Amino acid sequence: MEKVNFRTQILNGHLQNHRHATSTAAIISASPCVSYVPPEVSEQPFSFDVSSMRKLMDGHNLGERDWLFNLMVQSKLFNPRLRGGKVFVVPDYNHSMEQQREITMKRIEYLLDHGVFKGWLTGKGPEAEMKKFALLEVIEIFDHSLAIKIGVHFFLWGGAIQFFGTKRHHDRWLSATENYLIKGCFAMTELGHGSNVRGIETTATYEANTGEFVINTPCETAQKYWIGGAANHATHTIVFSQLNIDGNNQGVHAFITQIRDENGNVCPNIRIADCGHKIGLNGVDNGRIWFDNVRIPRENLLNSVADVSPDGKYLSAIKDPDQRFAAFLAPLTSGRVTIAASAVYSAKISLAIAIRYALTRRAFSITANGPEVLLLDYPSHQRRLLPLLAKTYAMSFASNYLKLLYVKRSPQLIKTIHVVSSAFKATLTWHNMRTLQECREACGGQGLKTENRIGQLKGEYDVQSTFEGDNNVLMQQVSKALLAEYVAAKKRNKPFKELGLEHINRSCPVIPAQLTSSMLRSTQFQNDIFCLRERDLLNRFAAEVSQYQAQGESKESAFVVSYQVAEDLGKAFSDRAILQIAIEAENNVTDASIKNILGLLRSMYVLVTLEEDAAFLRYGYLSTDNAAAVRKEVAKLCSEIRPQALALVSTFGIPDAFLSPIAFDWVAANSWSTVEN
Amino acid sequence: MRTILEFGRQSLKRSKARTTMASIPFSFGETDQVLVEEKYSTRIFTLNRPNQLNAVSFPMVQFSISAIELFLACEEDHSVKLIILKGKGKAFCAGGDVAAVVRGITQASSNWRPGAIFFRRQYILNYVMATYNTLSNFTIPLQICMKVSILNGIVMGGGAGVSIHGRFCVATENSLFAMPETALGLFPDVGASYFLSRLPGFFGEYVGLTGARLDGAEMLACGLATHFVLSEKLSLLEDALYKADSSDPVVISATISEFSLAPNVKEKSAFHRLNIINKCFSCKTIEEIILALEREAADKDDEWISSTLQSLKKASPTSLKISLRSIREGRLQGLGKCLLREYGLVWTIMRGEINKDFFEGCRAILLDKDKNPKWEPAKLEQVTEDMVDRYFSKINDEDWEDLDLPRRSNIPPYAIAKLQILS
Repeated sequence: MEKVNFRTQILNGHLQNHRHATSTAAIISASPCVSYVPPEVSEQPFSFDVSSMRKLMDGHNLGERDWLFNLMVQSKLFNPRLRGGKVFVVPDYNHSMEQQREITMKRIEYLLDHGVFKGWLTGKGPEAEMKKFALLEVIEIFDHSLAIKIGVHFFLWGGAIQFFGTKRHHDRWLSATENYLIKGCFAMTELGHGSNVRGIETTATYEANTGEFVINTPCETAQKYWIGGAANHATHTIVFSQLNIDGNNQGVHAFITQIRDENGNVCPNIRIADCGHKIGLNGVDNGRIWFDNVRIPRENLLNSVADVSPDGKYLSAIKDPDQRFAAFLAPLTSGRVTIAASAVYSAKISLAIAIRYALTRRAFSITANGPEVLLLDYPSHQRRLLPLLAKTYAMSFASNYLKLLYVKRSPQLIKTIHVVSSAFKATLTWHNMRTLQECREACGGQGLKTENRIGQLKGEYDVQSTFEGDNNVLMQQVSKALLAEYVAAKKRNKPFKELGLEHINRSCPVIPAQLTSSMLRSTQFQNDIFCLRERDLLNRFAAEVSQYQAQGESKESAFVVSYQVAEDLGKAFSDRAILQIAIEAENNVTDASIKNILGLLRSMYVLVTLEEDAAFLRYGYLSTDNAAAVRKEVAKLCSEIRPQALALVSTFGIPDAFLSPIAFDWVAANSWSTVEN
Repeated sequence: MRTILEFGRQSLKRSKARTTMASIPFSFGETDQVLVEEKYSTRIFTLNRPNQLNAVSFPMVQFSISAIELFLACEEDHSVKLIILKGKGKAFCAGGDVAAVVRGITQASSNWRPGAIFFRRQYILNYVMATYNTLSNFTIPLQICMKVSILNGIVMGGGAGVSIHGRFCVATENSLFAMPETALGLFPDVGASYFLSRLPGFFGEYVGLTGARLDGAEMLACGLATHFVLSEKLSLLEDALYKADSSDPVVISATISEFSLAPNVKEKSAFHRLNIINKCFSCKTIEEIILALEREAADKDDEWISSTLQSLKKASPTSLKISLRSIREGRLQGLGKCLLREYGLVWTIMRGEINKDFFEGCRAILLDKDKNPKWEPAKLEQVTEDMVDRYFSKINDEDWEDLDLPRRSNIPPYAIAKLQILS
């Protein structure tokens, strides 16, 4: 009965609102004024099959993705809001930090109750991992905080147990983690050390007489910092510490430590403080942890790489501390893989919103008394959004490739995975931030409203260029790895056979002096120019480093001073790798209409890269004439892609409810009848 | 009272000019199947096949055409402010006359085309009903014309399609709603993947998969109906609506509310079991849904759970899988896309190349009435993901024509609001 009354009240309230709507709407619509026309009505029919393209874009587990979207849409916890006749599910970013954290935890419980995390740690094999990636991506489309809080628990805490631990840890923790019987966090970063993990100051000292490790924070810069989950909810943590045995430092190792009891009270000898309010991700309770000589049993050392015997002997199969450290951290690439993938989805959200808006919003007439022009009919607006759309397509293929590479990992692939994931994580997250800013501006004032998502996403996703390795540091590592490859090949006088550098074994490509439109659009030219840039920059980088070394600089400082070429080289590697993945994806398509549009997008991706990266002119890969031809071709491609813009953002697999009011009837969404009086 | 014939023709020319139906041959063969009355600014459409429970009949393919034309005509006719849609006898409308469709297909040497056309026209009608009043020409403000469906009796399948999408649905103590398609080897169509998926929680999956019957009070509670009026008050309600002479939804709602009740949902109603329904029917697959229900059944002896399981086990396994996926996709799409997908599904089913459950279901339930359909595949686990995928994939068939929906604006806000605001 109560429910019925409640319903009647709601219906009545709804209808009351309608009264204003009809009476004022009648007056308003009597004069010819701007009205909303859905792009589906005003745009040309699609030239390719959108659902087939979605399969290519999402790549895998479409059924699972839709199932999870369904779960979120049907629950009040995901903050459904009615705007302009459509329901949108977007977190309420006007909530306080504490409210955001609380609702994030409740959402996790809801997903847990509905079996979303089933098999995330106990499942085995590439299929289980791909499914986990797909579900995490869907969660990210709703809210980055939710995804990160889940990611910390499963990928960092759970991943550490899985990869650093052995059977005793797996038996005890994996299933408990999957069912949230405990809540894990991951204490690696310190106030004084972030990307440089080897410099951390927390200590773990072994006491043979008690068989315990003593974890200690020796100074303020050793406080654990940014630990997601630590401020409010986590009960356990992986703590990274310098292992001391009999006064000898054995390097960084990981230990399991309980930080809260089952009632949520902080354990003795643990101090926890909040990191405070942030520019985004406020649904994640980042905290700081101090350890005051906390005692943990010897078994809590995660001992897959190295162990300590009860009597205090250090045991490891890997003797070289450098290699030991690398082997130790290798499994953490999963973080970079998921970050790269989610950056692409964030860019997709903003492009879908900005392009849909640009297909319905008009500004200025260009003829006297003529109708105002659709934003996306301005070539300048096309130039702002469509190249980003093309890049997002290319990077979508790149992220799918990276995921597959990761789940099929083997010891032989560790280096490739490290280099590719570093390069793609940096490139894709930078691309996302740039896309968000452009889309925000392209939506004008509407882009500033948090309900329209794009502006808020800037704050939510900015962290991606920093966590799991600062983007600049990662790109330097890419260049270093390429150089190592170069040195090894030259030294042994052997051909390149890894990291896609095989093209260097062939003769150097020649770029024609006069580039025509069809040459510019050929994969041959596109591949040639990207390969040319990469091989030349690698040569230059090697030459510069060895020149500095010849002048007496150490290898390390030679790297540091050669940062300019190193940066160019990292970009060159990444762009070339993405192009080759996109070409392969395109080659695997049989449907002519899809192949055709993918070809246009690929050309746009390459040509806009040529236009934007000064390296092509700086090092003379393109003549100024050719650079002018490239610029012209970009404008031409914009006008060719323009008619397909709606179709292209309809393939992203993001349901309407996860976009925003300005992507649909923004007149209705802002009408007087929706004002709550 | 003018007949459908006069009324339809009068306005036909205008609608032809801008609808996609112009190319379809037009005739009013069965004029007595729908009665049209005119009272002031109101038009009353009465479905008039009481002996067939007002089922939308096979020759009545024409009905859809006429109805589409008629509705569009009313939309353009500025003197029409309100349409009332009701049924004669004990049914509002028991749905499309699928028995006739199947008989047609099986007798006419497997000519499935008329069947496909039948569904095609029905879906276009559903779309027109749902998008009623949305200006297809965006510059001319039109007189708003509202629609009230009076569901005083059986509302099933196609009957739900012509009513639920509209602005006002009045249930009575005689209302009986069901989407029984899975028992027939079909799936909830007529835009049901849109409206079922927007019921609270996972109630829509429950209703769509099991074919559960809802009474008027339950329809109101879950949002399928907007009002509940006792049948004895209906003629007074109609009078009040004519006299109101208004197309203002607030006035119409207030008028209906004067006669409305807030009935109690019966104690045994499934609507009181939303918790279990949400828990079980939110599962990813049919197999998991059944497993979850069985787990619940193991905990307690519950008649409702066992009858729910019974319905699921009686239904066509293929139908169940298609229906679940259709509802799940529908939840994330607009009505237009839902109907396009449903049309693709029904086309593939009519072709009967993947399986023939629909014909078998109609044979067993509607024609031979032995109530013992032999589903093929007979078991859920035999219906592979690939088989289900084939129903949902792009149709490469030279005969295939996409459902050509009239180009109209989005669904008007109120059409969605009615369902969504409650969940």
